[in-house]
Amino acid sequence: MAGKGQSKQPVGQSEMRIWEHPWGYREGFIVAAGIAFSGLLLQLTVGNIQPALFASPVNSIFGALFVTGLTAVHFLLPKNRTVRWLGGVYAAVPAIAVLLLLCIILGLIPQFPHNSSNEQLPPTLFTPLGWYRMTTSWPFVLLCFYILFILGLTTLKRTGQKQSWRDIGFYLNHLGLFLALGGGLLGSADLERLTMSVNEGEIAWRATNQSGEIKELSLAIQLDTFLIEEYPPRLVIIENETGRILPATRPDSYQFEEVGKTVQIAGVTMEILDYLPHAALFRDSTFLNVVPMMMEGATTAIKVRVNNAEDNQPVEGWVSNGSYLFPHSTLQVSGNRSIAMPPQEIKRYRSYVTLYTEKGTARQAIIEVNRPLPVEDWIIYQYSYDDTKGKYADSSVFELVRDPWLKVVYTGICMLMAGALFLFVAGPKKKADEKDK
Amino acid sequence: MNWDSFIYFAIASLLFWAMGAAAAYKYRNKTIPALLTVAGLLIFALFIAGLWHSLERPPLRTMGETRLWYAFFLPVAGLLTYLRWNYKWILSFTTLLAAVFIVVNITKPDIHNKALMPALQSPWFAPHVIIYMFSYAILGAATLVALYYLIREEKIGNPDRLVQMTDELVYAGTACITLGMLMGAIWAKEAWGHYWSWDPKETWAAATWLGYMVYIHYRLKKNASHKMSMIILLFAFLLLQICWYGVNYLPSAQQSIHTYS
Repeated sequence: MAGKGQSKQPVGQSEMRIWEHPWGYREGFIVAAGIAFSGLLLQLTVGNIQPALFASPVNSIFGALFVTGLTAVHFLLPKNRTVRWLGGVYAAVPAIAVLLLLCIILGLIPQFPHNSSNEQLPPTLFTPLGWYRMTTSWPFVLLCFYILFILGLTTLKRTGQKQSWRDIGFYLNHLGLFLALGGGLLGSADLERLTMSVNEGEIAWRATNQSGEIKELSLAIQLDTFLIEEYPPRLVIIENETGRILPATRPDSYQFEEVGKTVQIAGVTMEILDYLPHAALFRDSTFLNVVPMMMEGATTAIKVRVNNAEDNQPVEGWVSNGSYLFPHSTLQVSGNRSIAMPPQEIKRYRSYVTLYTEKGTARQAIIEVNRPLPVEDWIIYQYSYDDTKGKYADSSVFELVRDPWLKVVYTGICMLMAGALFLFVAGPKKKADEKDK
Repeated sequence: MNWDSFIYFAIASLLFWAMGAAAAYKYRNKTIPALLTVAGLLIFALFIAGLWHSLERPPLRTMGETRLWYAFFLPVAGLLTYLRWNYKWILSFTTLLAAVFIVVNITKPDIHNKALMPALQSPWFAPHVIIYMFSYAILGAATLVALYYLIREEKIGNPDRLVQMTDELVYAGTACITLGMLMGAIWAKEAWGHYWSWDPKETWAAATWLGYMVYIHYRLKKNASHKMSMIILLFAFLLLQICWYGVNYLPSAQQSIHTYS
């Protein structure tokens, strides 16, 4: 049975002395906690990990050494009971549990950007522990590498056993996680994220990184046109004093569909008389003049008729959400209520660009949210835009991301997805299978 | 179709589900309970489809909309478990839990809004959320079994069989949260520039995943305690609840891009 690679189960933990083989969960928790504690000591002495220190080729060398070490340990010490234990459940479960604990802390404590200086962090007990920047703290990272070690060993250990179809799922899941987690950790040192602002009609080739430093790129982006689409305007009833949309517990609204409809919002019935998608608003001391006007900065306006709540006389007027040129306009319905038009929600926005590379190529493309553009080893994302002019915005902000280790991570992710499907279809080992072993 | 009609569909569905749950005790043949449960599901599905059509976007964006899918998938998970394992009480449990979420939706109704922000206009949106809601329902069913085990511990005739059931449910549910999480990662790379940013929602999704990893690996050993396994399940489900909607209430998560409207 020893050849099967299954470690003998401990008789009863209380009957055995600690550190007496075969090790069980007790030793597992001690080792995992010990690694976390070593990380803590490192954290207290040298502070957070600086990802830049592990940039290429340091991370590649480390990765290669890690895999080599792992393989060496497996092949050179196959009978070593500690090594066999490390590749098994008694080491894995406590390691996962301790990582889970750190994850919970990570989820409960607000996290700060990794390049924050110590002065920017709250002056509490958690700061020296590294809990405000958990994912670059030593305990977290060391624990992750411990788990990677266990993952590697357990995968190698499985190759020594009699293979069955169930092992396909095992390899997909464990090797997949090894690649995804390992690639993600090591690759984070090489991840570059830059932002670049470009105005319509202009060209830019310099971008800013997260620390505010400017970097010159080997490619240039020219923003030919920036386009925003908004959803049709909505009408709401607001409380005059506070501007709150009513009813307060479940704000109601009506999205414009067509002229001539009668609608009810928050108990107020109104008739839609007219709709101007491009309007100019001119107000003097007594009168508001709304005229259709096709111009940059034109706003949207809807004319409504409603019965004033106090004297039941019909009142008509224009409601508009304004623009950077014109003020918004509301229609009073009673002493404390008015009809208003909030700013329209954004449906989509995209940039029409021309890309120039150092090699001399020029090509046109569209960059949009959820549709980033790969160029050389960068991927360009539609990050945001300058919204001071609302829907007439003419300044686009791009994010450029470079992630050399992405392919490693994606390989791992694909394997994990296949492994998950396997898990779903195959399910747990049935009791019948166990009799065959 | 809007949320105002929801109560009628909900009452009709719950009636059929309750009849199905009662029928499970009355009839040995599983056909009648199954048909009644399916009838309830069809009525509920009709509402979801109608809402989808009138909103002109998948109803997956708000908290209330995700509760809708959960209330739908729970009886699905219950029915599949009942058909596979013959435990009569599972239909009552899932009906009850679905009722809880339906009541929450009726008492805290959502804003009826067609707008879908640009970041959510992606083919990943619907599968990512739907598979998560489906997995939550399966894992919810597993948690109900765990509760049942812990409450009736001494009186259970065949504990091994019960634990085999939770194993199957957890494998299926974990497979689904894994797929959901990875879909989310691939989508994140398309939308936000990186596949994992430790956004609070992502962190708690990872925590939930690790919780179920503890269960699965602990259960591999023959000496695993059934009671401990069930407790792990309850804890993992707690993590799941935090991931689903607890994050909206956590002070650390106010900046999250995942906060539902």
